[in-house]
Amino acid sequence: MMQVLLLLDKSSHTLLCEDLRDKIVRTLELKGHQVDVCELDKGDVFQCLGCLLCLTKHPDECVNKDIVNELRKKVKQYSATFFLTPVLFGHYSSTMAGAINRGAGSHDWQVFIGYGEDITGEEKQTFIDLVSKHRGAADIVHPGMDRKVDVFVTMSPEDNSKICEVMSYA
Amino acid sequence: MPDSEMKTVCIINGSLRSKKAASLAFSRDLEQRLPADKFETISIGVKVRVKDHYPKTTLLKIACADAIVLVFPLHNYGLPGSLMRLLEEYYEYINSGGEYKKSRLYMIVNCAFPRPAVVNGEVVRVVRNFCKRLSLRWRFAVCIGTGPVVVMTRRVPLFYHTLKKAYADIALDIRSSDEELKNDYFIKPVIPEFVITAIRRHYERSGKMIEG
Repeated sequence: MMQVLLLLDKSSHTLLCEDLRDKIVRTLELKGHQVDVCELDKGDVFQCLGCLLCLTKHPDECVNKDIVNELRKKVKQYSATFFLTPVLFGHYSSTMAGAINRGAGSHDWQVFIGYGEDITGEEKQTFIDLVSKHRGAADIVHPGMDRKVDVFVTMSPEDNSKICEVMSYA
Repeated sequence: MPDSEMKTVCIINGSLRSKKAASLAFSRDLEQRLPADKFETISIGVKVRVKDHYPKTTLLKIACADAIVLVFPLHNYGLPGSLMRLLEEYYEYINSGGEYKKSRLYMIVNCAFPRPAVVNGEVVRVVRNFCKRLSLRWRFAVCIGTGPVVVMTRRVPLFYHTLKKAYADIALDIRSSDEELKNDYFIKPVIPEFVITAIRRHYERSGKMIEG
Protein backbone atom coordinates (compact mmCIF):
# COMPACT_ATOMS: atom_id res chain seq x y z
CA MET A 1 0.00 0.00 0.00
CA MET A 2 1.21 3.49 -0.86
CA GLN A 3 0.34 6.75 0.78
CA VAL A 4 -0.53 9.24 -1.97
CA LEU A 5 -0.95 13.00 -1.78
CA LEU A 6 -3.30 14.55 -4.32
CA LEU A 7 -2.99 18.32 -4.69
CA LEU A 8 -5.70 20.40 -6.31
CA ASP A 9 -6.07 24.06 -7.20
CA LYS A 10 -9.17 25.10 -5.28
CA SER A 11 -9.38 28.36 -7.20
CA SER A 12 -9.72 26.61 -10.55
CA HIS A 13 -12.39 24.01 -9.90
CA THR A 14 -14.31 22.85 -12.94
CA LEU A 15 -16.59 19.89 -13.58
CA LEU A 16 -13.74 18.29 -15.53
CA CYS A 17 -11.41 18.69 -12.54
CA GLU A 18 -13.95 17.23 -10.13
CA ASP A 19 -14.54 14.25 -12.43
CA LEU A 20 -10.78 13.75 -12.66
CA ARG A 21 -10.30 13.97 -8.89
CA ASP A 22 -13.10 11.48 -8.20
CA LYS A 23 -11.83 9.01 -10.79
CA ILE A 24 -8.21 9.24 -9.65
CA VAL A 25 -9.12 8.79 -5.98
CA ARG A 26 -11.35 5.80 -6.83
CA THR A 27 -8.63 4.21 -8.99
CA LEU A 28 -5.95 4.61 -6.33
CA GLU A 29 -8.17 3.43 -3.50
CA LEU A 30 -9.20 0.38 -5.52
CA LYS A 31 -5.53 -0.49 -5.70
CA GLY A 32 -5.42 -0.31 -1.90
CA HIS A 33 -3.58 2.99 -1.62
CA GLN A 34 -4.38 5.62 0.96
CA VAL A 35 -5.11 8.99 -0.68
CA ASP A 36 -4.88 12.35 1.09
CA VAL A 37 -6.55 15.15 -0.87
CA CYS A 38 -5.39 18.71 -0.28
CA GLU A 39 -6.99 21.71 -1.96
CA LEU A 40 -4.78 24.78 -2.25
CA ASP A 41 -6.34 28.20 -2.40
CA LYS A 42 -4.43 30.84 -4.34
CA GLY A 43 -4.90 33.39 -1.58
CA ASP A 44 -3.26 31.10 0.97
CA VAL A 45 -0.21 29.95 -0.95
CA PHE A 46 3.06 31.87 -0.79
CA GLN A 47 5.24 31.76 -3.87
CA CYS A 48 8.83 30.55 -4.00
CA LEU A 49 11.34 33.31 -3.22
CA GLY A 50 14.15 31.49 -5.01
CA CYS A 51 16.37 31.87 -1.92
CA LEU A 52 17.43 28.19 -2.17
CA LEU A 53 17.73 27.91 1.61
CA CYS A 54 15.51 24.83 1.45
CA LEU A 55 18.25 23.15 -0.61
CA THR A 56 21.11 24.26 1.56
CA LYS A 57 20.72 25.65 5.07
CA HIS A 58 17.54 23.98 6.25
CA PRO A 59 16.41 21.16 3.94
CA ASP A 60 12.72 20.18 4.16
CA GLU A 61 11.75 23.60 5.46
CA CYS A 62 10.70 26.75 3.60
CA VAL A 63 11.18 30.26 4.96
CA ASN A 64 7.52 30.96 4.20
CA LYS A 65 5.30 29.37 6.82
CA ASP A 66 2.10 28.34 5.10
CA ILE A 67 0.24 25.18 4.10
CA VAL A 68 2.89 24.32 1.47
CA ASN A 69 5.58 24.39 4.14
CA GLU A 70 3.52 21.90 6.17
CA LEU A 71 3.20 19.65 3.11
CA ARG A 72 6.92 19.91 2.47
CA LYS A 73 7.72 18.75 6.00
CA LYS A 74 5.60 15.64 5.44
CA VAL A 75 6.82 14.95 1.92
CA LYS A 76 8.83 11.87 2.88
CA GLN A 77 5.77 10.04 4.18
CA TYR A 78 4.23 10.02 0.69
CA SER A 79 5.22 7.55 -2.01
CA ALA A 80 3.57 9.63 -4.70
CA THR A 81 2.21 13.13 -5.27
CA PHE A 82 -0.42 13.92 -7.89
CA PHE A 83 -0.61 17.55 -9.05
CA LEU A 84 -3.97 18.33 -10.66
CA THR A 85 -3.68 21.71 -12.30
CA PRO A 86 -5.39 23.79 -14.95
CA VAL A 87 -3.19 24.28 -18.02
CA LEU A 88 -2.68 28.01 -18.61
CA PHE A 89 -0.60 28.97 -21.65
CA GLY A 90 0.99 25.51 -21.41
CA HIS A 91 2.00 26.06 -17.77
CA TYR A 92 0.63 24.92 -14.44
CA SER A 93 -1.37 27.47 -12.45
CA SER A 94 0.33 29.91 -10.08
CA THR A 95 -1.26 28.16 -7.11
CA MET A 96 0.22 24.83 -8.13
CA ALA A 97 3.52 26.53 -8.97
CA GLY A 98 3.65 27.57 -5.31
CA ALA A 99 3.60 23.89 -4.34
CA ILE A 100 5.78 22.53 -7.16
CA ASN A 101 8.53 25.16 -6.89
CA ARG A 102 8.70 24.81 -3.12
CA GLY A 103 9.21 21.07 -3.18
CA ALA A 104 5.85 19.75 -2.00
CA GLY A 105 6.10 16.71 -4.27
CA SER A 106 7.24 13.23 -3.31
CA HIS A 107 10.76 12.45 -4.52
CA ASP A 108 9.70 8.89 -5.39
CA TRP A 109 6.92 9.54 -7.87
CA GLN A 110 5.27 12.70 -9.15
CA VAL A 111 2.30 12.74 -11.51
CA PHE A 112 1.35 15.98 -13.24
CA ILE A 113 -2.15 16.06 -14.71
CA GLY A 114 -3.12 19.21 -16.56
CA TYR A 115 -6.75 19.86 -17.36
CA GLY A 116 -8.78 22.30 -19.42
CA GLU A 117 -11.44 22.18 -22.09
CA ASP A 118 -10.01 24.84 -24.40
CA ILE A 119 -6.32 23.97 -24.38
CA THR A 120 -4.67 24.43 -27.78
CA GLY A 121 -2.46 21.72 -29.28
CA GLU A 122 0.65 23.82 -28.66
CA GLU A 123 -0.32 24.53 -25.04
CA LYS A 124 -0.88 20.83 -24.45
CA GLN A 125 2.51 19.92 -25.90
CA THR A 126 4.23 22.75 -23.99
CA PHE A 127 2.81 21.45 -20.71
CA ILE A 128 3.95 17.91 -21.48
CA ASP A 129 7.44 19.07 -22.50
CA LEU A 130 7.75 21.39 -19.50
CA VAL A 131 7.54 18.31 -17.30
CA SER A 132 8.89 15.44 -19.36
CA LYS A 133 11.94 17.16 -20.88
CA HIS A 134 13.35 18.39 -17.59
CA ARG A 135 12.13 16.42 -14.62
CA GLY A 136 12.72 12.93 -13.27
CA ALA A 137 15.12 10.96 -15.43
CA ALA A 138 15.55 13.96 -17.76
CA ASP A 139 16.75 16.31 -15.00
CA ILE A 140 20.33 17.37 -15.81
CA VAL A 141 20.65 20.05 -13.12
CA HIS A 142 19.80 17.87 -10.11
CA PRO A 143 19.84 14.33 -11.51
CA GLY A 144 18.13 11.78 -9.31
CA MET A 145 16.25 14.33 -7.21
CA ASP A 146 12.84 13.05 -8.35
CA ARG A 147 12.95 9.38 -9.23
CA LYS A 148 9.90 9.00 -11.43
CA VAL A 149 7.76 11.67 -13.08
CA ASP A 150 4.70 11.22 -15.30
CA VAL A 151 2.64 13.80 -17.14
CA PHE A 152 -0.83 13.76 -18.69
CA VAL A 153 -3.26 16.28 -20.12
CA THR A 154 -7.01 15.85 -20.07
CA MET A 155 -9.62 17.78 -22.01
CA SER A 156 -12.65 15.58 -21.39
CA PRO A 157 -14.14 12.99 -19.00
CA GLU A 158 -13.10 10.34 -21.56
CA ASP A 159 -9.49 11.49 -21.23
CA ASN A 160 -9.88 11.24 -17.44
CA SER A 161 -10.95 7.61 -17.77
CA LYS A 162 -7.99 6.83 -20.04
CA ILE A 163 -5.56 8.38 -17.56
CA CYS A 164 -7.07 6.31 -14.75
CA GLU A 165 -6.74 3.19 -16.86
CA VAL A 166 -3.02 3.89 -17.23
CA MET A 167 -2.81 4.58 -13.49
CA SER A 168 -4.46 1.29 -12.68
CA TYR A 169 -1.52 -0.52 -14.30
CA ALA A 170 1.14 1.71 -12.72
CA MET B 1 10.81 52.27 -40.05
CA PRO B 2 11.57 53.96 -36.70
CA ASP B 3 8.67 55.67 -34.97
CA SER B 4 9.16 59.22 -33.64
CA GLU B 5 6.50 58.90 -30.91
CA MET B 6 7.32 58.45 -27.24
CA LYS B 7 6.97 54.76 -26.32
CA THR B 8 5.76 53.43 -23.00
CA VAL B 9 7.67 50.38 -21.81
CA CYS B 10 6.43 48.29 -18.91
CA ILE B 11 9.24 46.29 -17.32
CA ILE B 12 7.94 43.53 -15.07
CA ASN B 13 10.48 42.13 -12.63
CA GLY B 14 9.32 38.59 -11.85
CA SER B 15 11.82 37.95 -9.06
CA LEU B 16 10.99 38.09 -5.37
CA ARG B 17 14.61 38.50 -4.30
CA SER B 18 14.51 42.32 -4.20
CA LYS B 19 18.03 43.79 -4.24
CA LYS B 20 19.70 40.38 -4.50
CA ALA B 21 17.87 39.53 -7.72
CA ALA B 22 19.81 39.07 -10.93
CA SER B 23 16.56 40.03 -12.68
CA LEU B 24 16.68 43.46 -11.03
CA ALA B 25 20.20 44.03 -12.38
CA PHE B 26 19.10 43.03 -15.89
CA SER B 27 16.00 45.28 -15.63
CA ARG B 28 18.17 48.23 -14.66
CA ASP B 29 20.65 47.53 -17.44
CA LEU B 30 17.83 47.56 -19.95
CA GLU B 31 16.34 50.74 -18.49
CA GLN B 32 19.66 52.49 -18.97
CA ARG B 33 19.42 51.76 -22.67
CA LEU B 34 15.99 53.35 -22.98
CA PRO B 35 16.62 57.12 -23.12
CA ALA B 36 14.04 59.22 -21.28
CA ASP B 37 13.39 61.46 -24.29
CA LYS B 38 12.21 58.46 -26.32
CA PHE B 39 10.86 56.01 -23.75
CA GLU B 40 8.70 56.26 -20.68
CA THR B 41 9.51 53.27 -18.50
CA ILE B 42 7.21 51.84 -15.88
CA SER B 43 8.48 49.19 -13.47
CA ILE B 44 6.22 46.61 -11.89
CA GLY B 45 7.15 44.06 -9.25
CA VAL B 46 5.42 40.85 -8.22
CA LYS B 47 4.22 39.77 -4.78
CA VAL B 48 4.98 36.70 -2.71
CA ARG B 49 1.27 36.25 -2.00
CA VAL B 50 -1.79 38.01 -3.35
CA LYS B 51 -4.73 37.49 -1.05
CA ASP B 52 -7.39 38.79 -3.43
CA HIS B 53 -6.23 40.41 -6.65
CA TYR B 54 -3.52 42.63 -8.03
CA PRO B 55 -4.72 46.27 -7.96
CA LYS B 56 -6.46 47.34 -11.15
CA THR B 57 -3.95 50.19 -11.46
CA THR B 58 -1.17 47.61 -11.87
CA LEU B 59 -3.06 45.82 -14.63
CA LEU B 60 -3.84 49.14 -16.34
CA LYS B 61 -0.14 50.01 -16.40
CA ILE B 62 0.52 46.82 -18.34
CA ALA B 63 -2.50 47.34 -20.58
CA CYS B 64 -1.39 50.84 -21.63
CA ALA B 65 2.18 49.91 -22.52
CA ASP B 66 3.48 49.89 -26.07
CA ALA B 67 5.94 47.22 -25.02
CA ILE B 68 6.09 44.74 -22.16
CA VAL B 69 9.37 43.24 -20.99
CA LEU B 70 9.19 40.28 -18.63
CA VAL B 71 12.41 39.88 -16.66
CA PHE B 72 12.49 36.85 -14.40
CA PRO B 73 14.44 33.89 -13.02
CA LEU B 74 13.65 30.42 -14.32
CA HIS B 75 11.87 28.37 -11.64
CA ASN B 76 11.74 24.64 -12.23
CA TYR B 77 12.08 25.24 -15.99
CA GLY B 78 8.96 27.41 -15.90
CA LEU B 79 7.73 30.79 -14.75
CA PRO B 80 8.06 31.86 -11.12
CA GLY B 81 4.63 31.39 -9.49
CA SER B 82 4.47 35.07 -8.57
CA LEU B 83 4.86 36.14 -12.20
CA MET B 84 2.44 33.45 -13.34
CA ARG B 85 -0.13 34.89 -10.94
CA LEU B 86 0.26 38.35 -12.46
CA LEU B 87 -0.10 36.96 -16.00
CA GLU B 88 -3.21 35.00 -14.95
CA GLU B 89 -4.77 38.16 -13.54
CA TYR B 90 -3.87 40.18 -16.61
CA TYR B 91 -5.42 37.49 -18.80
CA GLU B 92 -8.60 37.51 -16.70
CA TYR B 93 -8.73 41.29 -16.84
CA ILE B 94 -8.52 41.32 -20.65
CA ASN B 95 -11.00 38.44 -20.94
CA SER B 96 -13.50 40.33 -18.84
CA GLY B 97 -13.48 43.16 -21.38
CA GLY B 98 -10.59 45.31 -20.16
CA GLU B 99 -9.13 47.52 -22.88
CA TYR B 100 -5.51 47.01 -23.77
CA LYS B 101 -2.87 47.73 -26.34
CA LYS B 102 -1.60 44.89 -28.49
CA SER B 103 1.81 45.45 -26.97
CA ARG B 104 5.11 44.13 -28.27
CA LEU B 105 6.42 41.59 -25.78
CA TYR B 106 9.99 40.63 -24.89
CA MET B 107 11.38 38.41 -22.16
CA ILE B 108 14.70 38.25 -20.35
CA VAL B 109 15.01 35.00 -18.45
CA ASN B 110 17.96 33.99 -16.33
CA CYS B 111 18.55 30.49 -15.10
CA ALA B 112 20.96 28.78 -12.71
CA PHE B 113 22.35 26.50 -15.42
CA PRO B 114 25.24 27.65 -17.66
CA ARG B 115 23.66 26.43 -20.91
CA PRO B 116 20.64 28.67 -21.52
CA ALA B 117 19.57 26.97 -24.76
CA VAL B 118 19.07 23.65 -22.96
CA VAL B 119 16.73 24.69 -20.16
CA ASN B 120 14.77 27.74 -21.31
CA GLY B 121 12.96 26.37 -24.37
CA GLU B 122 9.67 25.55 -22.66
CA VAL B 123 9.33 28.79 -20.72
CA VAL B 124 9.79 30.71 -23.97
CA ARG B 125 6.96 28.63 -25.45
CA VAL B 126 4.75 29.41 -22.44
CA VAL B 127 5.22 33.15 -22.94
CA ARG B 128 4.59 32.79 -26.67
CA ASN B 129 1.36 30.93 -25.87
CA PHE B 130 0.39 33.77 -23.54
CA CYS B 131 0.95 36.23 -26.40
CA LYS B 132 -1.17 34.14 -28.76
CA ARG B 133 -4.03 34.01 -26.26
CA LEU B 134 -4.09 37.80 -25.97
CA SER B 135 -2.98 38.66 -29.52
CA LEU B 136 0.08 40.41 -28.08
CA ARG B 137 2.99 40.81 -30.47
CA TRP B 138 5.67 38.34 -29.43
CA ARG B 139 9.10 39.58 -30.41
CA PHE B 140 12.01 37.61 -28.94
CA ALA B 141 13.60 36.18 -25.80
CA VAL B 142 16.94 36.86 -24.17
CA CYS B 143 17.98 33.70 -22.30
CA ILE B 144 20.84 34.10 -19.85
CA GLY B 145 22.73 31.16 -18.38
CA THR B 146 23.77 31.38 -14.71
CA GLY B 147 22.28 34.84 -14.21
CA PRO B 148 24.14 35.66 -10.96
CA VAL B 149 27.51 34.92 -12.59
CA VAL B 150 26.64 37.12 -15.57
CA VAL B 151 25.60 39.92 -13.18
CA MET B 152 28.92 39.68 -11.33
CA THR B 153 31.03 39.67 -14.48
CA ARG B 154 29.01 41.78 -16.90
CA ARG B 155 31.11 44.92 -16.50
CA VAL B 156 34.28 43.11 -17.61
CA PRO B 157 35.37 44.81 -20.85
CA LEU B 158 35.04 42.89 -24.12
CA PHE B 159 32.67 40.27 -22.69
CA TYR B 160 28.93 39.89 -23.17
CA HIS B 161 28.78 41.56 -26.55
CA THR B 162 25.64 39.49 -27.26
CA LEU B 163 23.89 40.73 -24.11
CA LYS B 164 24.61 44.35 -24.99
CA LYS B 165 23.40 43.67 -28.53
CA ALA B 166 20.21 42.12 -27.15
CA TYR B 167 19.44 45.22 -25.04
CA ALA B 168 20.11 47.47 -28.02
CA ASP B 169 17.89 45.28 -30.18
CA ILE B 170 15.02 45.54 -27.68
CA ALA B 171 15.30 49.35 -27.67
CA LEU B 172 15.44 49.46 -31.46
CA ASP B 173 12.65 46.95 -31.96
CA ILE B 174 10.22 48.76 -29.62
CA ARG B 175 10.47 51.81 -31.87
CA SER B 176 10.24 49.79 -35.05
CA SER B 177 7.09 48.71 -36.86
CA ASP B 178 8.80 45.49 -37.92
CA GLU B 179 6.59 42.45 -37.33
CA GLU B 180 8.93 39.78 -38.64
CA LEU B 181 9.92 37.40 -35.86
CA LYS B 182 13.50 37.61 -34.65
CA ASN B 183 15.80 34.96 -33.27
CA ASP B 184 16.17 34.58 -29.51
CA TYR B 185 19.44 35.52 -27.83
CA PHE B 186 21.39 33.05 -25.70
CA ILE B 187 24.01 34.39 -23.31
CA LYS B 188 26.49 32.04 -21.69
CA PRO B 189 28.56 33.06 -18.65
CA VAL B 190 32.26 33.77 -19.19
CA ILE B 191 33.22 31.35 -16.43
CA PRO B 192 33.49 27.77 -17.80
CA GLU B 193 30.69 25.35 -16.98
CA PHE B 194 32.85 22.93 -14.99
CA VAL B 195 33.94 25.74 -12.65
CA ILE B 196 30.33 26.85 -12.12
CA THR B 197 29.22 23.27 -11.46
CA ALA B 198 32.04 22.77 -8.96
CA ILE B 199 31.15 26.00 -7.14
CA ARG B 200 27.46 25.05 -7.03
CA ARG B 201 28.21 21.59 -5.65
CA HIS B 202 30.53 23.05 -3.03
CA TYR B 203 27.96 25.52 -1.79
CA GLU B 204 25.12 23.01 -1.85
CA ARG B 205 27.21 20.72 0.32
CA SER B 206 28.45 23.37 2.70
CA GLY B 207 25.06 24.91 3.29
CA LYS B 208 25.55 28.06 1.24
CA MET B 209 24.53 28.96 -2.27
CA ILE B 210 25.37 31.60 -4.84
CA GLU B 211 22.81 34.40 -4.60
CA GLY B 212 20.37 33.92 -7.47
